[in-house]
Amino acid sequence: MPRPLAALIPVLVLVLVAACAAPQQPSAPAPQQAAADAQGAGPATAPETQVLRVSFAWPTHIDPAMGSDFSSATALANLYDTLVFPEPDGGVKPWLAESWETSPDGLTWTFRLRQGVRFHDGSELKASDVVYSMERLLTVGEGFAYLFTGVVERVSAPDDYTVEFVLSQPNGLFLPSLIRLYILNEDRVRANTKAEGPYGENGDYGQEFLQTHDAGSGPYRVVEFPLEEYLLMERFEDWWGEFVPNAPDQFRMIAATEPATVRTLMANRELDISDQWQPIESLEALQQIDGVEVAAFSNMTGFYFMLNNRLPPLDDLHCRRALSYGFDYDTAVSLEWPGTTAMVGPVPKALGGHNPEVMTYPYDPEKAREELAQCRYADTIQDYPIEFVWVSEVPDEEKFALLFQANMAEIGIPVEIVSMPWLSVVENTSKQETSPHLVSIYVSSDLPEAGPLLKQRYHSSTAATWSQNEWLLDPELDAAIDDALATLDPEERFAKYRAIQADLAERAPSIFVYDQVEKHAYQSYVDWPAARGEVIPVMGYNLWAPAIGLDR
Amino acid sequence: MSSLNPSRTAASPRAWRELERASRRENWGRAWYKFSHNPLSVVGLITVATIVLLALLAPYVTPYPEHAGPFTDFQNAKQPPSLRHPFGTDVVGRDVFTRTVFGFRFSLTMGVVVLALVVPPGVLLGLLAGYYHGTWVDTLIMRVTDIFLAVPPLILALAIASVLEPNLFNSMLAVSLMWWPWYTRLVYGLTAQMRNEYFTVSAEIMGASRWHILFREILPNCVSPIFTKMSLDMGWVILIGASLSFVGLGVQPPKPGLGTMVANGARYLPDLWWIALFPALAIVVIVLGFNLLGDGLRDLFAAEEI
Repeated sequence: MPRPLAALIPVLVLVLVAACAAPQQPSAPAPQQAAADAQGAGPATAPETQVLRVSFAWPTHIDPAMGSDFSSATALANLYDTLVFPEPDGGVKPWLAESWETSPDGLTWTFRLRQGVRFHDGSELKASDVVYSMERLLTVGEGFAYLFTGVVERVSAPDDYTVEFVLSQPNGLFLPSLIRLYILNEDRVRANTKAEGPYGENGDYGQEFLQTHDAGSGPYRVVEFPLEEYLLMERFEDWWGEFVPNAPDQFRMIAATEPATVRTLMANRELDISDQWQPIESLEALQQIDGVEVAAFSNMTGFYFMLNNRLPPLDDLHCRRALSYGFDYDTAVSLEWPGTTAMVGPVPKALGGHNPEVMTYPYDPEKAREELAQCRYADTIQDYPIEFVWVSEVPDEEKFALLFQANMAEIGIPVEIVSMPWLSVVENTSKQETSPHLVSIYVSSDLPEAGPLLKQRYHSSTAATWSQNEWLLDPELDAAIDDALATLDPEERFAKYRAIQADLAERAPSIFVYDQVEKHAYQSYVDWPAARGEVIPVMGYNLWAPAIGLDR
Repeated sequence: MSSLNPSRTAASPRAWRELERASRRENWGRAWYKFSHNPLSVVGLITVATIVLLALLAPYVTPYPEHAGPFTDFQNAKQPPSLRHPFGTDVVGRDVFTRTVFGFRFSLTMGVVVLALVVPPGVLLGLLAGYYHGTWVDTLIMRVTDIFLAVPPLILALAIASVLEPNLFNSMLAVSLMWWPWYTRLVYGLTAQMRNEYFTVSAEIMGASRWHILFREILPNCVSPIFTKMSLDMGWVILIGASLSFVGLGVQPPKPGLGTMVANGARYLPDLWWIALFPALAIVVIVLGFNLLGDGLRDLFAAEEI
């Protein structure tokens, strides 16, 4: 009887695939053998090539004017140099810039550049490249451009090793922001610019070229980048800076977050550091593998349920508050790695200028019902099911979606859960018409104080990006944020941040879920500063390969 | 037949009816005897009957019917199979047994609705194409059918289901759109053959209408192959439905689709094996049941025709 058996084949295949994808328990391989395994797993390279392999949620943008998420920031930090470099204490140290001075009015910043810095093609990095990079970033206007838009008025190069920035108003955060200005090789980009494009005489500003190539001077350079699979970089031997002695020869960023895949790779020693999106169950299982450990550190990341404040019924404050009161924060925190704490207000607690006194919405279904009753959609709430979008690369988010759905069912608000790939989330949140009711996203601060995050989350200039699904578009709020960022005195600046947080918290524009702890499973042969506690509190820099050693 | 001459005599219609009923009973009896002597078919029948019953009575036979809706209980998450939770609980604390039984509901709905949607148009088109064999009607219908048959079924369903909003109805629609050609093909072949049989020709000579020939002469003779194919297809449709929900295009959470449950559980293999294994086994059982049943029916009808 062939038919019933034939029908079973797909099911069996399904089960088998799932079963095979799960890792075999490695039988404590001898060190040499582990090393041999690792070699065999790498690309077709010479046997002594040491490759650092890390998994990431994709896509990765390596155009300095485009990328702004975790994997992009990591790639950019490795491919490009910046004028200053972040330090563990939240400050910055000289990097391409050897020294700098400010005019008494705080408007003119002059940087002296290090001499003899080579780009990957061998040409020398000059002040004109810095000018070009800043102009390009401001013109293209995506990625980290928001840090400089409306801040930098003019940039010029008085000589080959001097750069002068003129700001439109004093800005307390201009210097640390420069860790996000990646210096491009102007000649190389111009040589690869397409004449046709949206930027007038600059054509496409080299966007097509820079999508898959780098034009940097950083410690690593692009070898190959099949867009949807991985990004392979190799060490740039002529880099001016210092590698740790056993720094990787190659750095391979792999597009993989599927727990079964990551576990197999980890168990076979084909992956050195996992992405930070593994579910708790997966991390616990990874920890059981011989030679694999889990590093957890605070990285100033908040987990938000971003509400679309323009979409009924969430355009009503009381409905938003009902959602905020109706969510069980303690349970959400208990599902996370130890060290996670509930968020207080719109920014993570570790950021300078955090306001602990803001209005909060502790879990209280009774209060949620009261708020719902005051909402103008109270009687028709069944006609407005809340669309909850979670990022399908981050399986843990589904638990929060289901918890939220169950919580809301209790107070009578219907919720529909949608799982969406990150790529589509980025696309949908870029337009108001396609922005969903609610999307759950982790947002990292680009700088160690509250202001830039407030701007990234709630300022009009970031409304059409994934970091704001709220669409507040409030000129008064924009002015308040801009004013705070322009304040030079830290005390005064922090006080302004606190006022903005208090105001935002009362509007309940988002549900503030928890301050995230970043978790990675890693092989114990990786000498990883972040795992030792030397955490650089800036997205992307904890996977800066020159500082990571491999002791296979 | 009896309705043709109700007034001729008072006694004969009743006698006719009696006779007809008796012979039908005898036919059924013989069929059941044959069917029941094939152990595999009986297993199939029992499996299918059990699943249908479980699905219909799901809210009453499952221990935690609320777990099929918006529900979480993280205190009891990730429990291995036990007496309280025969199939264990998933990562948000829902009883896997309850959800599997409710999953049958969606699988069966899928099968029944899809077949109900595809069989009438598929059969009608097949009848027409077969009856007008060799004309432009035949060419038109059968070439369109060929086009649909040429596209790999799962790919077509995936394409349709991903363009439309993902939900149970749209995935049923997607599967239906790719399934009707099989019935057109089947009935086309049978009709083309039967239109030259003596009973069709004599009906034509007696002046019967085309309608009569198609639906009273030819169609009744196609019924048993159609039913056999339907019972065999049930398993396949459920399987395609599960594949669609495996990739997230079927039943939407928190409703339990068997495919979705396997997909979600696969993330936690092998430690939390029960989350994926039981729904996967459920798919195996339901598909196997329908195939065994369909096979039994096919043997039965094939034997009858000889």
